[in-house]
Amino acid sequence: MPSKWVKTPFPKGRYYFSGNEAAAEGAIAAGCRFYAGYPITPSSELMERMAVRLQEVGGVFIQMEDEIASISAVIGASWAGAKAMTATSGPGFSLMQESIGYAAFTETPCVIIDVQRAGPCTGQATKVGSGDIMQAKWGSHGDYQVIALSPWSSQEMYDLTLRAFNLSETYRVPTMVMADEAIGHLRETIQIPSRVEIFDRMKRKGRAPFDSEEEDGVPPMPSFGEGERLAVTGSTHDGFGFRKTDDPQVHARLVSRINKKILNHRRTIIETEDYLIEDAEIALITYGFTARTSLYVVKRLRKEDWKIGMLRLKTLWPFPDEAVAQLGKRVRKILVPEMNLGQVAGEVRKYVPCDVHSLTQTNGEVIRPDVLIETLRRM
Amino acid sequence: MTGIKQVRLSGFGGQGVVLAGLLLGQAGVFDGKYISGSNSYGAQARGSGCKSEVIFSDGPVDFPHLTTADILVAMSQGAYDLYCQDVKKESGLILYDQGFVTPREDLRVKHLAIPATDVSIKRLKNKQAANIVFLGALIEVTHIVSPKAIRKAILVHVGERFQSLNLKALRVGMELGRKMDG
Repeated sequence: MPSKWVKTPFPKGRYYFSGNEAAAEGAIAAGCRFYAGYPITPSSELMERMAVRLQEVGGVFIQMEDEIASISAVIGASWAGAKAMTATSGPGFSLMQESIGYAAFTETPCVIIDVQRAGPCTGQATKVGSGDIMQAKWGSHGDYQVIALSPWSSQEMYDLTLRAFNLSETYRVPTMVMADEAIGHLRETIQIPSRVEIFDRMKRKGRAPFDSEEEDGVPPMPSFGEGERLAVTGSTHDGFGFRKTDDPQVHARLVSRINKKILNHRRTIIETEDYLIEDAEIALITYGFTARTSLYVVKRLRKEDWKIGMLRLKTLWPFPDEAVAQLGKRVRKILVPEMNLGQVAGEVRKYVPCDVHSLTQTNGEVIRPDVLIETLRRM
Repeated sequence: MTGIKQVRLSGFGGQGVVLAGLLLGQAGVFDGKYISGSNSYGAQARGSGCKSEVIFSDGPVDFPHLTTADILVAMSQGAYDLYCQDVKKESGLILYDQGFVTPREDLRVKHLAIPATDVSIKRLKNKQAANIVFLGALIEVTHIVSPKAIRKAILVHVGERFQSLNLKALRVGMELGRKMDG
């Protein structure tokens, strides 16, 4: 996949950005020039910054009537050739699910940032939660794949939003940044580089935009207005976009390919980081804000001679099955702390033979170090 | 974990606690520190108890919220009562608004009485500047950020119309701080 290094549109340097502001800047650096959204706590600062920055860099910003219209506008903009995104929180994310399925099936690159809050439903709008992890993967019907990333700092709101665009363009797939209120509102020192590497969707004149010779291939993507004959439909379609709603082979081939194009490339897509696991007997598997609590606790318990380490999931979907399975073979116990009722813990259990404990917290607050330490001592 | 300072600014929503935290954190970034900052969000930022927390570190911060406080600034009695016990014994420091907060006598924590609101009304003719008076005193007493950095932070984050008022409030606060030191 061809990439290029480009100058970032914001001056290189160290800044004091909230996660939401950093994500907006990461999007602009990635080449995002279209934002459609509907403001929602706790993601609104992201939209505010996009409103200012897109005007400065010559993009398009539009506040839509709701989140259904927002994601639909993003999909339309992507087919018109723009790198496009939206941001929301749980209630809006729910509304977007139907069109996320449309984007997955029509292989439309787009980025959705979900700054998660305490759900379900309207829940606690200003409070933190991490209850949308399964929804990110399974929110729309049918068999499809998405990519979902999990930032743990303001810096990663920048870095992973940039990466989300690159992955989305490379694999023509909706890509999500699963932030949360605590990360969205956390202000931290962040470093903006002078240049970043960006990937653009592949273009090949005359080639089928919805099929590939390889069973896991990503087809080239023309835009409307470039002279290609182009039809985009959410019904089953052949390589040139013609509806084939009665053909078993076409359907099987298409569904298989949009899944394999992600799953067969998961070694490139998935990123994890491990800390102090060489001799660990107990490990935390962790992501998002809670990974910050986890790192603090691991370092502290190491001082008390605990053999403890952690694996941080920077990618949530496709799920880092290999990294989790390898860790499961080395340690006696795994604890998965999360701000939901055990969504990732359930996934971890699929891949490991050892004990998997789950620390769940759904009170609208972050998991603090003392709570995590107490849970570990009881184990 | 050495070289970490945890600061909590607190008061009523509307006293400028969040802005003060933003300026302090921004100044820390200008000084080359690793900063993690967070503040009240939602209804409490606009009325009742409000806080802004800033962690200063020489390296990346692990847990980005406060685990304890090295420094507490209390601009209201409610905030003082709520947070005074979180401040580290012996090494900790509490700055409180003299005339508006009555400190406890049983805490083994150094207290400094800063008449920030009073001075803000009398010398600056604007009680809204008390937050910046506190920042000035805090910086003078603790040197947690450089004066140059905090002035630059004010110029970046405060609207042009209020810059001179805030810079003056900072100077007044630093004078108060010098008196405390002496």
